[in-house]
Amino acid sequence: MKKKALVVDDNGNNLMLEKDLLEVAGFEVFIAEDASSGIAITRKEKPDIIIMDIRLPDMRGSEAARILHQDQETCDIPIVFVTASVMAEGREEMKDITNTGFIGKPINTRTFAKEINRFLNEGL
Amino acid sequence: MKDSEKTKEQLVHELTELRSQNTELQQSIAGSISAELVADESSRYAESIVETVREPLLVLDADLKIISANHNFYRTFQVTPGETIGSFIYDLGNKQWNIPKLKEMLEETLPKEEAFDDFEVSHDFQDIGHKIMLLNARRIYRKDIGSKMILLAIEDITERKEIEAGLEKTRKELAVIKIAADEVSEYAESVINTVREPLIALDQDLRVVTVSRSFYDFFKVNPEETVGQLIYDLGNKQWDIPKLRELLETILPQKTTFDNYEVEHDFATIGKRTMLLNARQIQRVLGKERIILLAIEDITERKEIEIGLEKAHEESKELTTELKRLSRVKSEFLANMSHELRTPLNSIIGFSEVLYDETFGPLNEKQKKYANNVLTNGKHLLLLINQILDMAKVEAGKMVLALSSVPMKSQLYEISLLVADMVSKKKLQMLLEIAEDLPDIEADDLKVKEIIYNLLSNAVKYTPDGGKIGMIAKKADSQIEITVWDTGVGIAAENMGKIFEGFFRVDTPYSRITEGTGLGLPLSKKLVELHGGMLSVESKGLNKGTSVRFTLPIISGRVV
Repeated sequence: MKKKALVVDDNGNNLMLEKDLLEVAGFEVFIAEDASSGIAITRKEKPDIIIMDIRLPDMRGSEAARILHQDQETCDIPIVFVTASVMAEGREEMKDITNTGFIGKPINTRTFAKEINRFLNEGL
Repeated sequence: MKDSEKTKEQLVHELTELRSQNTELQQSIAGSISAELVADESSRYAESIVETVREPLLVLDADLKIISANHNFYRTFQVTPGETIGSFIYDLGNKQWNIPKLKEMLEETLPKEEAFDDFEVSHDFQDIGHKIMLLNARRIYRKDIGSKMILLAIEDITERKEIEAGLEKTRKELAVIKIAADEVSEYAESVINTVREPLIALDQDLRVVTVSRSFYDFFKVNPEETVGQLIYDLGNKQWDIPKLRELLETILPQKTTFDNYEVEHDFATIGKRTMLLNARQIQRVLGKERIILLAIEDITERKEIEIGLEKAHEESKELTTELKRLSRVKSEFLANMSHELRTPLNSIIGFSEVLYDETFGPLNEKQKKYANNVLTNGKHLLLLINQILDMAKVEAGKMVLALSSVPMKSQLYEISLLVADMVSKKKLQMLLEIAEDLPDIEADDLKVKEIIYNLLSNAVKYTPDGGKIGMIAKKADSQIEITVWDTGVGIAAENMGKIFEGFFRVDTPYSRITEGTGLGLPLSKKLVELHGGMLSVESKGLNKGTSVRFTLPIISGRVV
């Protein structure tokens, strides 16, 4: 059975790129362009992993992660932040959130899916 | 009746005659007696005067022999009447009176002039010592004796002289004292007039006794309208300053002195002034009145400077705050820029990579080459962004080193492999001289890699085909020294200063076609310095190659 992945990014191009790479790697991919719809899809589809941007139009990715962590049904889903905020300040925001990973943009298309798989298999 | 015939008339007549004769006789007797009496009285009167007068008197006869002397003469000259009366004046008291000057006066002056006055004679007497005398003489004709005599009054003025001399001395001393006092006063006044700060001396009633020249100059007033005036009335009552009143009337009587009392006042003539007042109450040497010495220091300009400084300080504080704000804004801007630039680059690099990798189907040769161009330039743009951000971070002091033990020997060989492709493409010869004993160092692994890669790739880029590049690494005391050299285009002396400015690239045919950001060298220098090392560039000139030498401490001295 295919692993389910949710990609949340407000940039359509990035969303498409990540979706395509994950699909090529054999994932069933759900997409959302803002945090609230991402949270809604998570509650409905219970994905195996969430790939999420930090700067989202309705809230910070870190805030969305907290919401998901407070929900028993979604609290165990690992979240990988894919963000262009690679500077130290950007990382600071996520260091206290458990069960999360980090990939900086621009992504390496040759290793992206492998990294996601590694997070999924080896934990974050 | 002859006798009997004497009539009563005759008798009366006879009686009258007799009476008249008697009166005449009586008168005659009386006359002679009275004359004698008068002469006697007159003589006695004269004698009593002679005796009464305090000054010694001598009466001499025409031969200068002493007829008489008064008590005071005997007393003064300590002689007795016995040895005096009848003596020749010059023989008196063992010829003590044989004074040439006296002789001259008595024998020459007196016969001609009949008198002399206040003739001063100074003589050393055996018995009574040094005496100064004033001699007054009169030649008088004495009827009773019928000859001329000399009245000689001797005034002993020795004491008076002494007193006079003493007085004179005292007067001279006083004069000296006065001169001294004047000098002191003059000195004080010259001090007062010399000091730059205006001084004013007031009496107890706060009237101006004297002021210094600088006072006149400073307050643009003249002596006529100043001296004697109540201080408050000076210059159209400009000095009626409440604070000054308080000082002079309340504080000074209690404290006798005050210092640096700041008073600000708007004067009609000289405008707004800030003054420091110092006052002393001084007791005058002579007299018991006190005077108040008031020194006025104009600190208006100093104040202005102070205020200016304070303002400047405020401004600099504001500037610092503003700079801090700007620095924060800059950091935020950099973070935003980093994010905003990476987001499209994610698409550019990502999609071109996927295309080039033919993930979703094959491309023809041209398509694949184009996709690669997009990918390569996207990556170059990413490198630029990263280096700019790193430069900005270092400059903002926000670059943090992640220290670990870096095995330099293997690291250097590894990095040299990264440029091996480019080296062989350009048919360059790469010489590595890495010392066997090169130690591991405490450093940020990635940053060290970045530094060495930047320098090696520069060497490759700026060396024409067939040239040589090389790397020498050795231990030098507590640090390691690495030199990356090439036989390339070199750096002209005039450009030496520019190479660390950023975006400067040596203007050669190569630089146009060579990939590079112009940030590699300046960033490497900053990263070396961040580690506590030094980086310097040497070139003998254009086309004479370049040599970049840098050091890194073996044990990092930086606290991270």
